[in-house]
Amino acid sequence: MEILAGLFHGFAVALEPANLFWCFVGVLLGTVVGILPGLGPPATIAMLLPLTFNMNPAGAIIMLAGIYYGAKYGGSTTSILMNVPGESASVVTCLDGYQMAKKGRAGPALGIAAIASFVAGTVGVLGLMLVAPPIAKFALSFSSPEYFALMSLGLALVVLLAGRSIVKALLAALVGLWIASVGTDLFSSTSRFTFGRMELLSGIDFVVVAIGVFALAEVMVNMEAREETQLLPVPKGLKNLLPTMQDLKDCRFAFLNGSVIGFLVGALPGGGSTIASFLSYGLEKAVSPRREQFGTGVIEGVAAPEGANNSETGGALVPLLTLGIPGSGTTAILLAALVLWGFKPGPLFIPEHPALFWGLVASMYIGNVMLLILNLPLVPLFAQVLRMPVYVLYPLILGVSMVGVYSVSGSLFDLLLLLAFGLLGYLMRKLDYPSAPLILGLALGAGMERALRQSLMMSEGKLSILVARPISAVMLSLAVLVLLIPMFGKLNAWRLRALEQD
Amino acid sequence: MEDGTRKSGDLWSGVALAALGLYIIIQAGQWEYLGPEGPGAGFFPLWYGVAILALSVLLVVSHLKRGSARGDATDWNKLGRALSTWLALAVSVALFKPLGFVISFALLTYCIVAVMYRRPLATAALTAVASAAGFYLVFDRALGVPLPVGVLGF
Amino acid sequence: MKSASRLIALVALLCAPLSFAQGFKPARTVDLVVHTGPGGGSDVLARAIAIMVEKEKLLPVRLQVINKPGGNGAVAAAHLAEKRGDQNTLGLFTGVWLQTPLVSAEAKVTLRDLTPIARLVLEPAVIAVKADSPYKTLAEFIGAARKNPGQLKQSGGSNTSRDNVVRQLLQKSTGTRWAFISFPGGGERIAALLGGHVDIMVIEPEEAGEHIRAGNMRVLAQVSERRLAKFPEIPTLKEAGFDVPVVPQVRGVVAPPGIPKENVEFWQDFFRRLTRTQSWRKYIEDNQFEDGYQNAADLAKFYEEFTDRMREILKDAGVKTVR
Repeated sequence: MEILAGLFHGFAVALEPANLFWCFVGVLLGTVVGILPGLGPPATIAMLLPLTFNMNPAGAIIMLAGIYYGAKYGGSTTSILMNVPGESASVVTCLDGYQMAKKGRAGPALGIAAIASFVAGTVGVLGLMLVAPPIAKFALSFSSPEYFALMSLGLALVVLLAGRSIVKALLAALVGLWIASVGTDLFSSTSRFTFGRMELLSGIDFVVVAIGVFALAEVMVNMEAREETQLLPVPKGLKNLLPTMQDLKDCRFAFLNGSVIGFLVGALPGGGSTIASFLSYGLEKAVSPRREQFGTGVIEGVAAPEGANNSETGGALVPLLTLGIPGSGTTAILLAALVLWGFKPGPLFIPEHPALFWGLVASMYIGNVMLLILNLPLVPLFAQVLRMPVYVLYPLILGVSMVGVYSVSGSLFDLLLLLAFGLLGYLMRKLDYPSAPLILGLALGAGMERALRQSLMMSEGKLSILVARPISAVMLSLAVLVLLIPMFGKLNAWRLRALEQD
Repeated sequence: MEDGTRKSGDLWSGVALAALGLYIIIQAGQWEYLGPEGPGAGFFPLWYGVAILALSVLLVVSHLKRGSARGDATDWNKLGRALSTWLALAVSVALFKPLGFVISFALLTYCIVAVMYRRPLATAALTAVASAAGFYLVFDRALGVPLPVGVLGF
Repeated sequence: MKSASRLIALVALLCAPLSFAQGFKPARTVDLVVHTGPGGGSDVLARAIAIMVEKEKLLPVRLQVINKPGGNGAVAAAHLAEKRGDQNTLGLFTGVWLQTPLVSAEAKVTLRDLTPIARLVLEPAVIAVKADSPYKTLAEFIGAARKNPGQLKQSGGSNTSRDNVVRQLLQKSTGTRWAFISFPGGGERIAALLGGHVDIMVIEPEEAGEHIRAGNMRVLAQVSERRLAKFPEIPTLKEAGFDVPVVPQVRGVVAPPGIPKENVEFWQDFFRRLTRTQSWRKYIEDNQFEDGYQNAADLAKFYEEFTDRMREILKDAGVKTVR
């Protein structure tokens, strides 16, 4: 089978000492970049590009790819320890990961994040290796109606994030949609909700809102109490610093869920790791026997999104390497890098440069193993961060938040936005508005509106296009079903009450 | 609807959100709703604006119906501490332009440790200097991540 | 037009020794401001320029790229305007810097508020369809559009992008119309075409290269003055029978306002020498750009013409212009 031959050939390339070295450098750098909020793989890769001119292309692409998927491993660290999302895809990890840390289970949370990332990352590479061409074709068949249905399904998951008040959750999600609309409308170039500020013309950065609403608000809430009673509990003993066998068993479905959803969503040019992790989290919550506990520190709630954002890298490489179509910011730079070295990703890339492709694939297997070995022992070390006295930790979190935001665009205006959203996040906490729906609305809002308008433009105004196409019809029906789940719950309760009264 | 989260704040947040909804609707009215080529810039905002208005009215109404007898009294002390922290942060951001990140952050840390947590001044100063130096060394020197610079050049 | 610019270049060349005699030389690292984040189009070009300058030893100091993303170019432009009189800062502008102030009231800095230095490149484009599309020439597509007004679809960027400008000009000159569907990223636009969800698109020749080679795309016409080297058999718009102006996508250099005249001469001359180097020529060829060098005076004139024409086109397209 030519796949085996290719893989064999690839390992021969990937196991060369020089390439192993570059792989290690890449994943190490990626992990560090991922840990730091704000700074992301696109900027790092762009800055390293000139240095790669004198390297051999195989080593160079192995290193850059290592940064790409390595960053996804590191992103969960600050999410779990500090409620500061390391990058946009790690936002979902904050939901249960930080709650686990507050309960003294930071170690298992970090550990399961690493393990899930390894499992799903490997599955993602497997997918890239085995089913890239048919997946690429499937991805091409996705058009605006399907994207709209996908986003709607994602947004419908808000009801699963609702907590106790559906009305407040819906309001939070809608405000998220509003924040997503700030900026210049793509289709008509109209400025919307910019309040006369030119900095708002390109919209409000997701990372700024997420760090404000999660991290800053959390610090403010913790500052309320005068006494330092909330020294975050760190359990003693190695046994409690890693996931237990029971934890691993609980996450069986999460591993599968994250791997598959991440890979599929990553393969869509209009997809992304944020959507992938939200969908995976939502699905996990929907099928889990302890779904009401999600949001309070359930380990599957960490495993699923972390897996999803890792297999997404494998998925995103599918359209890049088989069609030459970049899906996200990082893949766009990888494309630029490949072009710079004289390779042109496209349908002819794999047949014409098998050594490069298979070498890359093989190195991704190796890289994932390296990352697991690198990250797991670091878990106890990172968990010790929580041992710091709170008067050191909280200013640290504030500083990291500010540096993270500033590193995204270098603009003081973004810091002002951070302050504003921090205040908003705090008010939401005090008034019992859940913040996850706000983030969800923000993440999906722009894409959803674009997909809807594109669909209506394609169908010349006929809404029926959304249900005429099979895939989008199925996903929209699922979305409606999801929205009705709480209804079923209430109907059932009402019915039981009625029966009791007889 | 059975909601376990009624607070007196519901009334005010509901009113504020209703005002937001109204504002969004009015703004959306100034943009094109449906153009010759498809939905315009006002299409989506109008719909979520209406939804925000409707839901917030629902919130206010359901709050008024059940009365605000329940709910914790606002602990103004706690609120005060949290908001003072926010204020300290805002001041430190305002100081970035003249003083740069390192100094402003050191001041912020000092305030938090000394004032909020009432640690001895020496501890506060030490923490402040150590943290700020740490940030400078790790971010500016080691990683090359730009930190806001003031007139003093760092 | 060409001979006039040649004459001006000759005069500038003769004056060069004079301006050198007056002795402006950058004394410290020169900042080159771009409006994209790392990896964006301008950023890549700026970094390439920095490398070329070092390689060809054109400056005694380094060129450093400063990213000021945000506001669709408005943040970078405002940054330059704030640096009035600063002799060590330059900006790399693109068409976006010219267009954003036209449609967004919040973007207050136009190229008139800055000091033009030089125009560097023009980026041509090609018009492509999916390989199994029934249209073999642009005329066939236009004919089909005439028979089914508003039903054919084109994928592209925002409604002020060059993709839509080409469409507006063609629609006006042929009296036809077809739909324009905006996608935020190049990848999504190509995916829409290859997936059969739209019928046609305007695409950079470099981006189209591989898809054409793999047999997935077909090019109908080129949006450029002359035929590109890698597309010798594809007619330009004019040759294909469509007498529409070629509105180019440009990149060039500007400086903050209020800098001395000798600086302007130094920089315009510097960039002229850059565009004559071997590295630059190779870069242009590899990326399928057209050399579009103009000195400061010509750039100022070009800017006025460009904005007037854009204003007209946008008005025809029903887009509200604020300046």
